[in-house]
Amino acid sequence: MRKLARDAALYLVLALLLGSAANLLPKRQLAWWGKGHEPPLAGLDYDLIDPGSADLERSSLAGVVVLDTRSAAEFAAGHVPGAAPISYTDLDRQWTAALESRLKRASAVLIYGASDETDVEQLLAQELRHRGVPRPQVLAGGFGAWLQAGLPVEGGAG
Amino acid sequence: MSVLRNRWLHAALGLLLGGLFLYAAFYKVLDPRPLVTIIWGYRILPAGPINLMAIYMPWMELLAGLGLVTGCKRRAAAFWAAVLLLMFEAALGINALRGVNVACGCFSASADEVHNAWLLVLRDLPMLAAALVLLLLPPSRRGNPARSEQPAGS
Repeated sequence: MRKLARDAALYLVLALLLGSAANLLPKRQLAWWGKGHEPPLAGLDYDLIDPGSADLERSSLAGVVVLDTRSAAEFAAGHVPGAAPISYTDLDRQWTAALESRLKRASAVLIYGASDETDVEQLLAQELRHRGVPRPQVLAGGFGAWLQAGLPVEGGAG
Repeated sequence: MSVLRNRWLHAALGLLLGGLFLYAAFYKVLDPRPLVTIIWGYRILPAGPINLMAIYMPWMELLAGLGLVTGCKRRAAAFWAAVLLLMFEAALGINALRGVNVACGCFSASADEVHNAWLLVLRDLPMLAAALVLLLLPPSRRGNPARSEQPAGS
């Protein structure tokens, strides 16, 4: 029993050390306590938009930027026409002056993920807000809802 | 009961459970930030400790997974696996009772799907049972219980 307690304590210490060390790395850093990374909120960090309205906006407005947060394979298999792939976890690398200028000048920024309740697009929307992009729109239901609505798809086998 | 102390069973359970823990920990360790939203979505913890949880929990998952797979201090790894699974069960159970289906964040840091909370509670039960077997019924020192139960000197 004593050995188990000692070994369990060792695991705890190791986890604390590794977690603390990893949290010092800038690109994955979280505030230690409290509100370092507020959960994104609809109406504050982004607006939700239904697939039909999003398609209407995309096809009738000039300067709409559509961002796809799904994996490269999912993107290649089919995406919203005109969408550009973007990775939330790799945003710093992709964040160029050209992209920043394009997003800030866009008439609307539409972000979508795979399905409903995907949180990555919401986090991305929040991050873009922090970087000065006007409040983005998040596609309710993600690409799954887009497909279900029978809206046009670009790329993929079809 | 003795079959539960079989060392091969323990090795197999360790591999299986440890593999699941390693898989679950991988993306969270790479980037714990989305995990904050997932933990927040459970609506159990206040804002303060959510970040601490997101910082440290993936590493405990990773270490427990490594310990279970390699057999290095496996009982201690099983202890932490059981603690984590009990915690997950409690969090999922509370939301299931509330009638809320949560984005569980179980096997990824990005909650792609919202699952039925009761199904998640049920899904974690076999894992919890495996962790408890590894923790509470360590294999006999003499290895296979079939042999250990034989008279001494055989």
